[in-house]
Amino acid sequence: MDMKPVAETAEKEVIPADLLADFEAAARRPLRQRMRYAFIHTHKPVLDDAPFRAFDTTADYRRWCEQNLPEWLGYGRVRLPAG
Amino acid sequence: MAAFDYRQAEEIRDAFARHGCRYLFIGKSGAILLGFPDTTQDADLFVEKSERNGESLVAALREIGFAIDDDQSTQIRSGKDFVQLKNGPFDLDLIFAPDGIEHFEEAWRRRVVVEGFPVCHIDDIIASKVATNRQKDRESLPRLESFRLYLRRQQRG
Repeated sequence: MDMKPVAETAEKEVIPADLLADFEAAARRPLRQRMRYAFIHTHKPVLDDAPFRAFDTTADYRRWCEQNLPEWLGYGRVRLPAG
Repeated sequence: MAAFDYRQAEEIRDAFARHGCRYLFIGKSGAILLGFPDTTQDADLFVEKSERNGESLVAALREIGFAIDDDQSTQIRSGKDFVQLKNGPFDLDLIFAPDGIEHFEEAWRRRVVVEGFPVCHIDDIIASKVATNRQKDRESLPRLESFRLYLRRQQRG
């Protein structure tokens, strides 16, 4: 990946060149086309296996995801190592 | 089921407007509407939590084609924080209390409207992802933060 900084902001933060090229290319496309490229659908095990789920709290939903979904789906929260 | 597309987003926009439902696109689907080039699977809506808005929401969803029975309607209107719908023409997550955003009204004031679609400000989308802190959010954050810089530069001209 080309990480050469090409765009520097007033905050002295940089946008990697490859990302800047992606953003500029996306900006040239109409929204309808961007959405066609952006939304994909694949079956997500467990998650997609019920037509309706409701959770009292967002924390309950996060906990349910961690306890029920395969780890590789990426719904588990990142925990910093102790110490 | 086919992937979410522009026409379905229009159906949300138009049906929700007809029923007076207040909502914002949030998450990666919101970022995509703002111009973020990435992929995602579902549309996520941050919906104002109130009895009246819940009634409008259910009416709009039924009009679009979601098969919401009376029990599910009661749950949606009764103040759940998170509802996952896979009983309609596309998958939809309804988020009434997203991590990292205190009040709907604040996010509403900061919203960005893209082709009539009300979208959370990129700062709110990022704040929510930071607070959620899932593996998949962590992976997309560096790109999202670069995209925020890009938007700021565009706004400055």
